[in-house]
Amino acid sequence: MKAKPAELILALSVVILGIAVALGTSQLSGAGGYAKVGPNVAPAVIAGALILLGIWLLYEALSGGWRNAIADDPKARGEHRFHGSAFIWVSLGLILQIVLIDRAGFVLAQAALFALVARGFGSVKLPRDFAIGLLLGLSVFLFFVKFLNVNLPAGWLKPLLGGAGI
Amino acid sequence: MGDTFGLLMHGFSIALTPLNLLWGFVGVMLGTFIGVLPGVGPALTVAMLMPLTVKLDPTGALIMFAGIYYGAMYGGSTTTILLNTPGESASIATALEGNLMAKNGRAGPALATCAIGSFVSGTIATILVTLLAPVVVEIALKFGPAEYFALMVFAFTTVSAVIGSSTVRGLTSLFLGLLLGVVGIDSQTGSSRFAFGVPELLDGVDVVVLAVGLFAVGEALYVSAYASRLEEKMEEIKGSLWMSKEDWKRSWPAWLRATAIGFPFGSIPAGGAEIPTFLSYAVEKKLTKYPEEFGKGAIEGVAGPEAANNASVTGALVPLLTLGIPTSATAAVLLSAFQNYGISPGPLLFQMQADLVWGLLASLYIGNVLLLILNLPLVGIWVKVLSIPQPLLYGGILVFATLGAYSLHQSVVDLIMLYVFGLLGFIMRRWDIPVAPAVIGLILGPLAETQARRALAISQGDPSVFITHPISASILGLSFILLVVPLIVRLVRRK
Repeated sequence: MKAKPAELILALSVVILGIAVALGTSQLSGAGGYAKVGPNVAPAVIAGALILLGIWLLYEALSGGWRNAIADDPKARGEHRFHGSAFIWVSLGLILQIVLIDRAGFVLAQAALFALVARGFGSVKLPRDFAIGLLLGLSVFLFFVKFLNVNLPAGWLKPLLGGAGI
Repeated sequence: MGDTFGLLMHGFSIALTPLNLLWGFVGVMLGTFIGVLPGVGPALTVAMLMPLTVKLDPTGALIMFAGIYYGAMYGGSTTTILLNTPGESASIATALEGNLMAKNGRAGPALATCAIGSFVSGTIATILVTLLAPVVVEIALKFGPAEYFALMVFAFTTVSAVIGSSTVRGLTSLFLGLLLGVVGIDSQTGSSRFAFGVPELLDGVDVVVLAVGLFAVGEALYVSAYASRLEEKMEEIKGSLWMSKEDWKRSWPAWLRATAIGFPFGSIPAGGAEIPTFLSYAVEKKLTKYPEEFGKGAIEGVAGPEAANNASVTGALVPLLTLGIPTSATAAVLLSAFQNYGISPGPLLFQMQADLVWGLLASLYIGNVLLLILNLPLVGIWVKVLSIPQPLLYGGILVFATLGAYSLHQSVVDLIMLYVFGLLGFIMRRWDIPVAPAVIGLILGPLAETQARRALAISQGDPSVFITHPISASILGLSFILLVVPLIVRLVRRK
């Protein structure tokens, strides 16, 4: 049986991560005081373990595939085939939110997130979803800022929100 | 014994103040509301609702958490039975017979046996926690850093290597968590590790960000890609909610047996409610007088696993409160909630903050009662929550998930990490790498490192301290056996 590319890539990533941690560890101080164990020992152990585990995963991938893993065929898992556009819409929502939150403020960022995630899950009513997201974001914002005294950024809506938030 | 009773009564006097009772009530309602959402397990529910407690005093906050914790579990079993989508691995066994009962028009009794069984096993388990915790505290007070380190290694071994489908994938997840745990300022020397000059990383990676990223964002990405275009079929609740005389007769012994199975699993740091639920399912299947009903919706097959889950989760409070060792993702998130209040669970907690501990234990009893009287009558509301269309549901889950991560430090860096952990969660879900070991590794790793270095500081750097102390040596030996023996058996069997 041919090895699955995804398993090989993931196993190699674990090995590479382990090597990267090992390189990073060599920059750390080894001064350990009485314990003779400095801040570099735990990362060194982790680096070694990751390299070994990566090799183990690689071995399993090359010798018949990872053991006891879930089925590769989505149908066998009761699911449909990979829906790339759904994945991208949800990702876009999350990334847009990261970009917006400090500029446009919490409420607008959450409305955008809500609308794009709903789009990813197959909703075709973008304006409606945005409106629901706006309402949800606004109620959360007011509850947190007015009632819990947790500050959230007001952003572009600052004039409308009457100075609430930061 | 009499002393314990007195302390518990004092705990009730704290938990039963109107305000604290209100927080318990709010916690149960919110916990059930969020826990009912498909794909949202108790760990995520506690993490998402954490910001709501910022205004409360520690006792009130912990009482609310106890309510959230119980509510989330009950909500999860409702979803499991009606939708057949277990929110966590510990609910899979309940789903087996529960969903079949619902398909046969017996959703009412299935939900009822879950609710009443949870109450029975939760209450018995809480009594056992109350009795056992002071005993463990007595023992734990004699533990030094070497013994703590050994116990943590034991917990690492069981949660990653022993439980789950693959030792190597469990360990990989654990070490990813441990790696995230070393990011930030080293507590012993003050030097920074793997922060890459990002000031926000100096405080380390927050467990809430990791848990919400893996569980909420990862789940949303996965479901959108693989399950957003499926027809979901929700079973309706037809007929009476009440269990017949026959149902009672068959449920009772199952609840009690399951409690006996679940509690020990939870209370030793062996982690995970998954094994006891399947064990209970197997036991009920073996002992039943109606073997022909198994596979068609047998009530014992619901009553047992659900009670075992509850008993085990409650039992997990023993290592969490007395030793500060979490053995499930939910307990890890709870531990982080404790830490946010500057509370470090462990034997000293029982001495220094007795009000808080006994108030919390008393509120567990109250939480169980609240669940029983609130949830069955309100099951109609929870079913409505389940009928929210998937696009709006996940939109809402992600809004609350990002809120939970962002409101910790109002930092965009946390949101970036949240998305990265979401991608990681997607990969782990798709290629069957368990996520709970990573969450436990992140919170327990730094504690284990501190204990190891303390032990070595006392021994002047002599590493034999871990094997010359008899308790530490036996716990480490046991962990080693648990890790290595199954591997050797597998190797030998192949030849």
